[in-house]
Amino acid sequence: MAILKINGENKIFEKVPSTMKALLEFLNVDDATVVAEVNGQIIPRGSFHNTILQDGHNVELIRFVGGG
Amino acid sequence: MKKLIIAGKEFTSRLFIGTGKYSSNKIMAQSIEASATEMVTVALRRVDIQNPQDNMLAAIDRKKYLLLPNTSGARNADEALRLARLARAATDINWLKLEVTPDPYYLLPDPIETLKAAEILVKEGFVVLPYINADPVLAKKLQDIGTATVMPLAAPIGSNQGLKTKAAIEIIIAQATIPVVVDAGLGMPSHAAEAMEMGADAVLINTAIATANDPIKMAEAFKKAVQAGREAFEAGSASVKNHADASSPLTGFLRD
Amino acid sequence: MNIQQAIYNDAGYSPDRLNALISPEAQNHLEPMAKRARQITRQRFGNTIQLYAPLYVSNFCVNNCPYCAFNCKSKLPRTRLTIEDACKEADILAAEGFRHILIVSGEDKNFITVPYLAELSKKLRENFSSISIEIYPASTEDYQKLFAAGIDSIALYQETYDRADFARFHTSGPKSDYDWRLDTLSRAGQAGFRSLGLGFLIGLSDWQAQTLAMAEHADILMKKYWQARVSFSFPRMRPAENVDEKLFRYMITDTQLVQMMLALRLCFPDAEIVMSTRESQTFRDNMAKICVTRMSAGSKTNPGGYAEKEQSLQQFEVADDRTPAQVAAMLNSIGLEPVWKDWDKAFNK
Repeated sequence: MAILKINGENKIFEKVPSTMKALLEFLNVDDATVVAEVNGQIIPRGSFHNTILQDGHNVELIRFVGGG
Repeated sequence: MKKLIIAGKEFTSRLFIGTGKYSSNKIMAQSIEASATEMVTVALRRVDIQNPQDNMLAAIDRKKYLLLPNTSGARNADEALRLARLARAATDINWLKLEVTPDPYYLLPDPIETLKAAEILVKEGFVVLPYINADPVLAKKLQDIGTATVMPLAAPIGSNQGLKTKAAIEIIIAQATIPVVVDAGLGMPSHAAEAMEMGADAVLINTAIATANDPIKMAEAFKKAVQAGREAFEAGSASVKNHADASSPLTGFLRD
Repeated sequence: MNIQQAIYNDAGYSPDRLNALISPEAQNHLEPMAKRARQITRQRFGNTIQLYAPLYVSNFCVNNCPYCAFNCKSKLPRTRLTIEDACKEADILAAEGFRHILIVSGEDKNFITVPYLAELSKKLRENFSSISIEIYPASTEDYQKLFAAGIDSIALYQETYDRADFARFHTSGPKSDYDWRLDTLSRAGQAGFRSLGLGFLIGLSDWQAQTLAMAEHADILMKKYWQARVSFSFPRMRPAENVDEKLFRYMITDTQLVQMMLALRLCFPDAEIVMSTRESQTFRDNMAKICVTRMSAGSKTNPGGYAEKEQSLQQFEVADDRTPAQVAAMLNSIGLEPVWKDWDKAFNK
């Protein structure tokens, strides 16, 4: 059992998705429109497929929304 | 009408649109089109994991409209810097509306944190458009450090009150060496026209359009108002103010 | 812009507006211009006039300006003041009430050096709260040193903004560099000077073109060095020994000078307008009522002039030779308060 903190909430996984790309697929988030941070570091989109995720990582997934 | 130039980029439309508060992405897209704008602001928020497919960005045609990410939600310089870097990572756009608003009631911008963040962002290569209260000294300081515009508010965000800060904006315009974009608080097309007649280079409108009964029609009205105001400014008014002063002659000594 | 708008609109500068105000037609509207100018001046500056005195420290000069008695070809007894002698002169001025002093010198870099000026300034700071300089153009680093030593204000006249006329009048010496001279006030602004004094020598070139050029210069300085105040002076050609008056084809009448001053006041409500003792009593007294904010009084334009009984050569003949006390009394009589000290040195450090 493993935990990833995603957008401030702890999410429990049997097995943590191995890469950021895998996580996004799991969550059904379109990786073309999202910005990701792991433990405070911005992950460039081109690196989603080789960014390794581990138990205890703090992930932020951010996208553009309407705003003034 | 003369073109507006910001950081070397030409704009025909002097109306910028915010994308928040619309009832649907579809209405937002139609309003943007009706406004004939060339640049729209967007914000950054956490993806809603429960609703991951909601994607506002898909509704904006990026071939027609420039995206201007804002740092809304930032309460201090550090948070603004983080949002700025996230925005750039997401889109490779280095233009940024810098917005630092610690007070959740009036959403007024923090001058000190804004100046702090602006200085760092300019050094990191961002094209910074800072949202500020109508403070002429702050505006000069931001110009000195190299922001691309200054964006003084007319009234608090969403208040639709019009040019409450008119006297201060006049001073900012008189002293400005970069474009002045009046942003926040403009509630009616007449307010926008007034700002343009005063010599503002552009205006940014969000709430007044998004929350109108017919946003698309309102967007078109604002488009016309901004054009009218700008044309009036370029035409040059002939009106004369009245300054009566009855007193003894001052230049009589020249004839003595 | 029509004349009515140019006069009655809210104060502010545009080339169009200034052009209308200095046009021949506007000369028929001097009285309403004067009333507006007075209204604007009173609102911004109150009923006060700042008094200052010039302190000439050297009449040595390496330039050959034909309009100046100090020009290098002129055979006059040359004088330089030691720091000690300069301070003696300054003591006399302080005793008369002055707290603002303007150090003036010919281009005499060998003696009136930056260290000399810095040392003099430190000594003068004991008695004077504001020290201004009207000397040769210097570098930004020099101005930084001078600012650190207590000099916060500068006057440097471009003489003429017309490049061809400038070249004709300044054929040799450091002063022949038009651009170095033009950029001086910017360098001083960059060094933090609080007051930047502009002017052109009236008589060298067409006054209207010069006024428009000077206004553009002021506008640029005000936008960039927004923490400094701009001032306008109006040096008008005056009789002087060794100066051939036939060289000056663009002399203007009193009426035209008044028009120029009023036009600038309407366009630049916050600029200082300075009147020296080149002008007559009548002219000074009447313009003080309208838009002047700063005046010299009791001036001696020769080094050592305040202390010495035997007068060395003056830079120009003074037209108003009243004592400072007399000028102050005159100001009081017309409802203006002469301000001797406006700025406390304690705030500057």
